[in-house]
Amino acid sequence: MERITIDPITRLEGHGKIEIFLNEEGNVKNAYLQIPELRGFEQFSIGRPAEEMPRITNRICGVCPEAHHMAATKALDALFGVEPSSAVKKLRELFYSSFYVTDHTVHFYALGGPDFVLGPDSDPAERNILGVIRKVGVDIGIQVIECRKRNHEVIKMLGGRGVHPVAGLPGGWSKSMTKEEHELILEYAKQNIDFALFSLKIFDDIVLANQAYVDLIVSDAFTHQTYYMGTVDEKNQINFYDGLIRVVGPDGAELVKYPAKDYAKHIAERVEPWSYLKFPYLKAVGWKGFVDGADSGVYCATPLSRLNAADGMATPKAQEHYERFYETLGSKKTNGRYAPVHHRLATHWARLIELLYAAERMQELAQDPEITDPDVRPVITSIPTEGIGSVEAPRGTLTHHYKTDENGILTDVNLIVGTTNNNAPIAMSIKKAAEGLIKNGEVSEGLLNQVEMAFRNYDPCMSCATHSLPGQMPLEIQIRDKDGKLVNRLSQYVDQP
Amino acid sequence: MNKTLIIGLGNPILTDDGVGVKVAREIEKLVNLEVHPDMTVTEASAGGLRLMEAVLDYQRVVLIDAYYLNPESTIPGKIHRLELEDLRSVSPTQHSTSAHDTSLVTALDAAQIMGFQIPEEYIIYAVEVENILEFSETPTPAVAAAIPQVADLIIKELSLSLR
Repeated sequence: MERITIDPITRLEGHGKIEIFLNEEGNVKNAYLQIPELRGFEQFSIGRPAEEMPRITNRICGVCPEAHHMAATKALDALFGVEPSSAVKKLRELFYSSFYVTDHTVHFYALGGPDFVLGPDSDPAERNILGVIRKVGVDIGIQVIECRKRNHEVIKMLGGRGVHPVAGLPGGWSKSMTKEEHELILEYAKQNIDFALFSLKIFDDIVLANQAYVDLIVSDAFTHQTYYMGTVDEKNQINFYDGLIRVVGPDGAELVKYPAKDYAKHIAERVEPWSYLKFPYLKAVGWKGFVDGADSGVYCATPLSRLNAADGMATPKAQEHYERFYETLGSKKTNGRYAPVHHRLATHWARLIELLYAAERMQELAQDPEITDPDVRPVITSIPTEGIGSVEAPRGTLTHHYKTDENGILTDVNLIVGTTNNNAPIAMSIKKAAEGLIKNGEVSEGLLNQVEMAFRNYDPCMSCATHSLPGQMPLEIQIRDKDGKLVNRLSQYVDQP
Repeated sequence: MNKTLIIGLGNPILTDDGVGVKVAREIEKLVNLEVHPDMTVTEASAGGLRLMEAVLDYQRVVLIDAYYLNPESTIPGKIHRLELEDLRSVSPTQHSTSAHDTSLVTALDAAQIMGFQIPEEYIIYAVEVENILEFSETPTPAVAAAIPQVADLIIKELSLSLR
């Protein structure tokens, strides 16, 4: 089998590379994003007190420590059998909403946005936040930095520490909110809403107003019909912090809705001989390979998936944009809900709608009289056994599963991280992009860019898997014949010495 | 006052990846920070924008990071003293480049364009590492041996007073 390698990927956390396998005719047979696997997390954790997990798991990743912290804290709620008070839940969700604002902001302005703002054919060296600032203006950069700064302040205030929060306790939160903090957060939430609306306006002006970009978004090359997963509240509206996990089919019909603790009943993992990645799929549908359609158990868990899996947004302005999103992309309403949008590049737009929701939700929670309740530390009285906690991480549903002995010492740990959910869809998107540009062993111009765009919309975070990026090296394609001999090599930048 | 930030980068539970963090902790342990009110010692598992934001209020920055090179040619524990320009070239250190957002130099360039005051001086220590794929609080022996050496080099370079 011939093999093409794109190594490594620029602008994604952690070391990864793309492998494209060709068949005898020189056409694409398989493709996947290869991520070196971190080893030994389970062994590292076993034997430690379970209550350390919110502080240990948030060290796994430098990108979304808050998501791990929250999933771990919720797993402890279940493990110690203590239901958090509504004040605790609100405080945690407020903290989590602020984190979402920062995370989605980075993705749009530094990662995914540049593809559109500067154009898919622009010089890769310019397709970064610097290029965005040069094109759209210094003011935008300043707004991005200020947005991140104020939300990092909130994360630090509520989470007890910047970057790696420490506040999560079984059933509780280690500190309540002071009056001064409350006033500041109310002000910041308002600024976040303005910033989110401003970001959606930029998307309108630069992307939606440009027919070429709209054509690209709706093009078949970036379209896949799969199942979609997301956490929803009792009204089937998106919630990042809590709810039931809902899966809808390519036609939008609900397949299942289940509490996080039942994840193993619904999700299985496929292993392929050509990759050490695990490919999760829906048990109820079954594995049919890397294929689209209602008969294939492949599902996707991204901002686009969450919009598709929900019936709407829980906040008014986000709901307006949600409706506009589906109307603009030609989705029809059936039984009171929009049919899913399958265009993967629309994920960037969906992410901005989630940004607005997070900002509005933050304001709602900050305005709730219960939010300053000082009683946020319950006393634990039960004997722990097993607990599962899940949240919607920005990159997909994140699940932590712990088992302990009667002293609360960990005996078993399993994590399903956000990006893992999307391993199969990412492989399919890379394959489709490559198929259009590799014919009978001939590689067309633009392969690197198209492949990059195909996976970047998933915002795959590989630092849950590893931190081992040696640097911003060139995106590289290696083409090997079926004997493994290097026959061609393409690269965006100059070679490494 | 010429404010200096000493920042150890990395993940302290990922074997050698956290070498920078461990050097920063060593400096904190050895140095009498009370006589250096202009000096801040901290740690971060962050790169790119987050790292740039962390250094903005300082005139001088000391970065300590893991250096992951080609496994065939690497000498674990080997210490490098780099300049910011080196990060701009083809051999950045482990955490100065976070591909999830942007590299540190790109982030600093962006900050400068936006009119933020970025640090004037950068001192970068990078330690070649061996294992950054396995969870452990204990670095490999050669990297562990480099930790007090790097701490000592920084203490001497900045003329810091010991406790």
